[in-house]
Amino acid sequence: MSRPLQQRNTRSLLTWLPLVMLAGSVFLYLILMGHIRHMKHQQLQRKQDNVWNAFVLDTLHFPMKMPGEYLVTRGSPKENLTADSANQAWLTQLHRLDGNPYSVTTYIAAKEFRHLLIKVGIAEGIIFIVLLVAIVMVNRRTSSRLWAPFYVTMNNIRGYDIRQNKPLSLDTTTGTEEFDRLNHTLSSLIGNADQAYRNQKQFTENASHELQTPLAIIRSKVELLTEAPGLTEDSAQLLQEINDANERLSQMNKNLLLLARIENSQYPETGRVEVSGLLERLITFLEDYYTNEGIKTKATIEAGVDVTANPALIEILVNNLLRNAYIHNVPRGWVDVRLSGKGLVIKNSGPALEGDPKRLFDRFRKGRVDNRTTGLGLALVQQIAQLYSFDVRYAYEAGVHQLTLLFR
Amino acid sequence: MKLLVVEDEPSLLNSITRYFRQEQFLCEGVTNFTDALRRMEDLSYDCIILDINLPGGSGLRLLKYLREDKKKDGVIIISARNSLDDKITGLDYGADDYLTKPFHLPELSARVKALLRRKYSDGSSIVDLDSLRIDLDSRIVTSNNKAIGLSKIEFDLLLFLVTNKNRVVSRQAIAEHLYDGPADQAPGPEFVYSHIKNLKRKMKEKGCPDIIQTVYGLGYKLVV
Repeated sequence: MSRPLQQRNTRSLLTWLPLVMLAGSVFLYLILMGHIRHMKHQQLQRKQDNVWNAFVLDTLHFPMKMPGEYLVTRGSPKENLTADSANQAWLTQLHRLDGNPYSVTTYIAAKEFRHLLIKVGIAEGIIFIVLLVAIVMVNRRTSSRLWAPFYVTMNNIRGYDIRQNKPLSLDTTTGTEEFDRLNHTLSSLIGNADQAYRNQKQFTENASHELQTPLAIIRSKVELLTEAPGLTEDSAQLLQEINDANERLSQMNKNLLLLARIENSQYPETGRVEVSGLLERLITFLEDYYTNEGIKTKATIEAGVDVTANPALIEILVNNLLRNAYIHNVPRGWVDVRLSGKGLVIKNSGPALEGDPKRLFDRFRKGRVDNRTTGLGLALVQQIAQLYSFDVRYAYEAGVHQLTLLFR
Repeated sequence: MKLLVVEDEPSLLNSITRYFRQEQFLCEGVTNFTDALRRMEDLSYDCIILDINLPGGSGLRLLKYLREDKKKDGVIIISARNSLDDKITGLDYGADDYLTKPFHLPELSARVKALLRRKYSDGSSIVDLDSLRIDLDSRIVTSNNKAIGLSKIEFDLLLFLVTNKNRVVSRQAIAEHLYDGPADQAPGPEFVYSHIKNLKRKMKEKGCPDIIQTVYGLGYKLVV
């Protein structure tokens, strides 16, 4: 599982630092213990020497015993010397005076040494905690400062959309060489992708544009040929088929050009477009023809609904949605159009889609074989809706297609 | 009527000039800026059909020269660029009409004739055709003095056929002509069929002879 950088960093510090510090403490303890043992021994030895020297100087009057300090006995030590081992440390050495053996035991208090050990331990514990907190804090602060350019870059990239034609500028003087390099690499990567995308779009537009002329030539020649004397029914039939194919090609090309131009943001002029009037005009136009086909139209249009957009594009948008409803219908079917300030809902009777509804708005995705359509109508709808952040949705239920267009 | 066609694509130029010559126009064609300029300076035309993208210079510049020269030749711009800006600039420079490529020849012909009609109509807006009389201003059609009640689309359809009388007009050309919006979005040719049917029926009811012929599957022709 992935976690944020900062959290991972702190986590690893908190795992390894205490271990290192614990090892350090053990080491310190061992050294301290060694020192203490050495110091005890030195003190006991010094006392031993002093006691023996004093005893030798004045053997008769020197007290043989002083509890907690020393004990001098003739011969080997007789007392149980381990009596108070918890609080005392002792040292017994054998000496000789005039051929007689004496054993001298000196004592010192061990308590102080233990207290010292505890105090050092506590001090070390406090230092340990303070150090840990300080290290983690400094580390977090430093790393968040160090990684700041990284997060800036990340946010910039996240907000980048190649389709929006907006250039991406990444700082290449962040003060950290690696990030400079990262930003530089990303900039050139995105620059290249952008260029390729732009070329692609430009290509579509140029190609469509170049196709216009030969298409226009074919059309004009067919029109001239139509009037040529001596045209037989047979050749008229052929001519008509050429013409139909050519017209379809023209239409497709026009739509492709339109798509490319919208993608290339070539429809910057916007104004208030009165959708109500437009819709009424289009319905009157289509209804007229389709009534003969037996399709009934019902329209509920709120007056004065308008949007800010390019008038030509809105007309294309509404026209395509509306025409679709008539074309993908059934004999004696119906179309129901509702317009309000929120949006436009077009319902129509019709057979179910054959393809995946999710791909309805893709280019060249046709519901059924139909030479009346180019397969680009809904792709145009989608493109225009996207341009103005309209929401367009499709649903089908029990023989009813529903296309909903929601204005911003 | 004298016509000058300025179009850089020779094949298309040929189609246009041929189409107009068949209607007894005196039609000349040139393919570049310099030739066009020379013709326009030397002669005057009833109508000039002007392409914008020309080798040697823009058609808009030609238009500018023409108007600065105080010449009143009618000008119809034909352009492959379907942009509102171009259209506005063209009309600002003094063009009389603007047509986007690719267009149908009957459409171009109708535009030219409408222009000439405006230019030379000494106030009359009546088109007579045998027993048929069309009043362009009041949009009333009469046959032997009996009014034929036509819808807007039917009227436009009839006028388009009359303008292109004795010529075959394809369904697509009619559909694009009738559609009152971006030409790219005109409905399919099947749409024309029902309007033709209604128009013929209404004309027949008023005793008008059946002058609209169907030419195989190609289109329609109004014969006089």
